[in-house]
Amino acid sequence: MRREGSPARPRLEYVAATSWRGEVERALARGLRFRCAYAGGEGERSWSALFGDGHEELLLRTFASGDVPAVDSVVDLVEAADWDEREAHDLGAIEFEGRASTRPLLDHSQPSSAWAVPVAGAGVNQVAVGPVHAGIIESGHFRFHVVGERILHVDPQLFYKHRGLERAAEGMRPAAGIAIAQRACGACAVTNSVAFAQACESMLGSVVDEPTRRARTLLIELERLYNHLHDIAAICAGVGFAAGNMAFANLKERALTVNRLLSGHRFLFGSVALGGNEIVPGAPAVEEARARLSELGADIAAAWRALDFAATVQVRLTGAGVLSRERAEELGAVGPAARASGVERDARTYAPLLHYPAFRQARIDRPSGDCSARLRVRAAELATTLETLDDLLQGGVEAGSAVQRANADGAADVGAAVVEGPRGETVCVVEGDGARLRRFHLRTASYANWPALAAATAGELLPDFPLINKSFELCYACVDR
Amino acid sequence: MIAAAAVQLLGGLLLGPLLVGSIQTAKARLQGRRGPSPLQPYRELRRLWGKSAVDPDGAGPLYELAPPLVAAATAIAVLVVPVAGVPSPWGFGDDAIVLLALLAVARFALTASAWDTGTGFGLMGAARDLTIAVYVELLAVLAFVVAAIPAASTSLAAMSDAADGWEPWSSAGHWCAAIAFAVVIVAETGRQPVDNPDTHLELTMIHEGPLLEYAGRDLALLQWSAAARHWIFLVVGAELFLPHSGGLWLRLGSLVIGLAALVAALAITETAQAKMRILRVPGLLLACSLIATAGVVATVGGVLA
Repeated sequence: MRREGSPARPRLEYVAATSWRGEVERALARGLRFRCAYAGGEGERSWSALFGDGHEELLLRTFASGDVPAVDSVVDLVEAADWDEREAHDLGAIEFEGRASTRPLLDHSQPSSAWAVPVAGAGVNQVAVGPVHAGIIESGHFRFHVVGERILHVDPQLFYKHRGLERAAEGMRPAAGIAIAQRACGACAVTNSVAFAQACESMLGSVVDEPTRRARTLLIELERLYNHLHDIAAICAGVGFAAGNMAFANLKERALTVNRLLSGHRFLFGSVALGGNEIVPGAPAVEEARARLSELGADIAAAWRALDFAATVQVRLTGAGVLSRERAEELGAVGPAARASGVERDARTYAPLLHYPAFRQARIDRPSGDCSARLRVRAAELATTLETLDDLLQGGVEAGSAVQRANADGAADVGAAVVEGPRGETVCVVEGDGARLRRFHLRTASYANWPALAAATAGELLPDFPLINKSFELCYACVDR
Repeated sequence: MIAAAAVQLLGGLLLGPLLVGSIQTAKARLQGRRGPSPLQPYRELRRLWGKSAVDPDGAGPLYELAPPLVAAATAIAVLVVPVAGVPSPWGFGDDAIVLLALLAVARFALTASAWDTGTGFGLMGAARDLTIAVYVELLAVLAFVVAAIPAASTSLAAMSDAADGWEPWSSAGHWCAAIAFAVVIVAETGRQPVDNPDTHLELTMIHEGPLLEYAGRDLALLQWSAAARHWIFLVVGAELFLPHSGGLWLRLGSLVIGLAALVAALAITETAQAKMRILRVPGLLLACSLIATAGVVATVGGVLA
């Protein structure tokens, strides 16, 4: 029995290679969701998959057998594990048996016939976009199979700037590793660092006090605020609606100045520390931030009303890039993208390590799974975020620390954490002996949602892809960790 | 007379970029930005003119010939467009159908260049441009027909004279043709909601697509041509479908006011409207064709009555 307020620590279960599929099936049958899978940790042959529902986290581990290390694939049971298996394969660790094909994901050395889904037929053409784009965007290549303007299928080829961050963190002290987690992505710096900090604290058997929980919640919501504003601006840009783009870019800029006021950094870098709270703004700064956010909230509401009544924008969004609820569940989509498809899931509803005392998940009227729904979810969440921020700032921001776990079962080898960031659930798993990290795995929300974006694109028009892409607004850096 | 010829030549060759720059500046102000100066397109042209052109591997003669061909066709088109109702003295006449044909030559040359290199974005943009051109040319012809009937001529100068004063505005046909030509202006200058001249999103490009491969002087020629198209269509629109009257200087004055009004209208349209879903563009153009057809019927009926 866990006590209230104490988080789930993953239960590590060793599974024989022969019963891997059976155990995965059993975990799923118990209602646990697949979160991530990774190679390494206990030697190169170790292959682990995390399942959980927020209250219970189960880490299944097996060891690849054979001359060429091989494990049974589970993609037919969990489609969401597709990228995880392909990534492990490309990083040279493990072969997966029973897959129709293991197309390269990180490995860019092979021709497109190897990594793109083969499509044939009369009038089918391929259109290659990227990795160099006409605008300032991260590197990503998209291979479209089209008939006329209609997209049959798209294969994204990302991982152009894979930095080996997970490997770089190995052997580091947990407190130093947080810098690595933070630099995985600029737009998700807080989410990734809080996930890392919580995972390490779970491993070390410590629990942070309330001031730290409040400060981390504040930072996460500040990150959500500016990201959602940015995403709404980007959606406007996707349909060439410059007025909306500029209005929300302006609001985002104002949110960034509040970030700077509270944390000293516009993108909240360096604001999360292991076992404590790094930011202690003075009372005047907190008051000032509260006033600015309240003004910002009023202006956001006005800008949203204007956008809601911009008929030429709304007609573009409605029905474009539909991700059905079934596909969202199958592909393991998370965050606003999943909620827009009617998946009612938000890691904030049960987050004992953060401060969401009266959290209500934002809901929209018609979770139609299209670009319109993804836009409306963000607008609805902005209101919740502003309320949460006001509530947190009212209580002030104080220095905090970590205490050894009250119901101490002491330190363990493994820790995990799930944090709801702007783009959804970010999962972090760490392994180590307390002093040094042995393995660090970060499965960001973007990583989970890229396949969902590809699914939502099938059957749409080629010139609508930028809009659909922006309605998900996923990070490239978050997968290139 | 000489003044009109001078405005036609210098305006057509030099003022296109100013029109584009003015739209950009007006748009920026409407969006709450300071934006670049209206002279920015001239700076861009100077910068591009000073750079060397780089051709993609395997580019053939069609690719290399396209920029001078497009610029030449557009330059002649400029000489065909009269100002203040004064017939063009440059020896090319001022026939509306000739104007459309010259612009079609420019369009064909650019399409051929996209086909030559075979790049995805160029071909996509060119294909979309041709698809839309089918509908736009129909619309332009219908609007010209309405204007040509009272003039009993397809000479742009005669059509402009026939539209002199307030009397044409009592005809339903004139209103229909004016609406139709407004949409022609939007489509032919590559403006929203048909095309987005500011986009960096390759997949959505129409007019910009075939330009992506070009650099240096070639790009300068193509960008000048795109700017000159603004002059051509805005001037024709103002001369034929905006109120004007009186002698030469009054007519030149009302042309300036008309151009300013059209620039403002384009800036406002582009700020207030998102880009249309591409498959809906033909629908918009066909609906306008119906309006223009109604205009033709009304005008013919007026003549017969």
